[in-house]
Amino acid sequence: MYSNNYTLFFVFVVTVVLGTMLSFTKDSVKDLQDQNLKADVQKTILRSLNFDEGLLVSNESIEQTFKNYIDAKCVNIDGEIVNCNIEEVDIEKNEEVLPIYIRMNDDKVQGIALPVAGKGLWSTIFGYIALNPDTDSVLGIQFYKHGETPGLGGEVEKQWFTDNFVNHPVKQQSGEIQYIPKRIRDNSGKIVSIKVVKGGVDYSESNNASIHQVDGISGATVTADGVTDFLLEDLLRYEKTLDKIRDYGTI
Amino acid sequence: MELFNSESKKIISDPINVNNPISLQVLGICSALAVTIRLDQAIIMTLAVVFVLCSSNVILSLIRNYIPTRVRIVIMLSVIASLVSVVDELLKAYLYDMSKQLSVFVGLIITNCIIMGRAEAFALKHGPSKAFLDGLGNSMGYGLIIIVVSFFRELFGAGTITLPDGGAGYVLWRIPDSWYAAGYENIGLLVLSPGAFIILGLVIWIQREFAGVEEDA
Repeated sequence: MYSNNYTLFFVFVVTVVLGTMLSFTKDSVKDLQDQNLKADVQKTILRSLNFDEGLLVSNESIEQTFKNYIDAKCVNIDGEIVNCNIEEVDIEKNEEVLPIYIRMNDDKVQGIALPVAGKGLWSTIFGYIALNPDTDSVLGIQFYKHGETPGLGGEVEKQWFTDNFVNHPVKQQSGEIQYIPKRIRDNSGKIVSIKVVKGGVDYSESNNASIHQVDGISGATVTADGVTDFLLEDLLRYEKTLDKIRDYGTI
Repeated sequence: MELFNSESKKIISDPINVNNPISLQVLGICSALAVTIRLDQAIIMTLAVVFVLCSSNVILSLIRNYIPTRVRIVIMLSVIASLVSVVDELLKAYLYDMSKQLSVFVGLIITNCIIMGRAEAFALKHGPSKAFLDGLGNSMGYGLIIIVVSFFRELFGAGTITLPDGGAGYVLWRIPDSWYAAGYENIGLLVLSPGAFIILGLVIWIQREFAGVEEDA
């Protein structure tokens, strides 16, 4: 039988040794982890803007592509450009400074990526939604960070879910089905965002809103409702900026 | 003591075959179902478990005579949890894409019954070299099963065979388009958890048959 003092001493020593080992490990790989994290965010932005996967194979190629094609700046809620350190803007909390990432080619806007974030079931979900220059139709959407249940809410990051946003089936007169992107504005130009629908989108003719709806995830209603809420909320913050780009082709 | 006498060989080969932690003891099933969607995930998971189990067995065996019995579970858990955290951090630094795919299941190695079970049942009662062999045998036994399961799940579920590389995985082979054109189809069920149960059940059946194990009626 060991004495209480010995037991306490032993536990203390083990804790100190293990704690030192952990902090040493974390410290020595922190820089690498930060680089990976940064590249992952940039990759998410580039993916949402529909860049070719071939350009996104390594951290270096991602950084290069990002530098060459992306015009990153901040705007305020009135659609005016403001100064900011874009990497340090807290997407979830900061409401005055809004980051915006524009894909440029020959001085013309090819696509606009906006950060979106909000609560799911267990965690905050972070992602980017990209719009075409008409600031209406969706170019792509990607989620990169969340703590939702794998297989349920975690499916938001999967391709089948994100593909929903760019594949709206339209029946042609010939009977063939053509896919067009979902739209965030209604016919009068008002931003109505995109709703994640429990069970699945009703594609019958009586449902006029189906172009603003995507299929939900079975077993993840709370996550899906969260996505619906924060997409609308975040898109509305960019309303003036998006109107400007639509009307003038630039901010 | 000679490292590879017959007793040592038995320590290492038993858990791979006649006393396999997954197929005979049915431990560690949670992660075995979760990380067997793709071969490369299973291989990396195997390496992580080999590292954690071997190190935890050796460390606990080295300090086994000093651990107060009353707090031994806490000590075992701290050592295992620390080792798992180290693996998790290293994956995030060097194999970022893989760590994203494995997500919580690396962290969940902590709760893998095989690791705690071997610490309690073996490492605390034997010397470090035997404990190492026991760790190696059990983690390889675990790895063997999940690699076999993931091979079949990926091949018939997704139609590819993927090996781990620095990024999102290197596709070694994929079913040619001409097969699909000829009417071949992937079995979507295998990608889902029920598919893992079915494959795992088949593997357990074959493995027990092979090892000559019979359940008491």
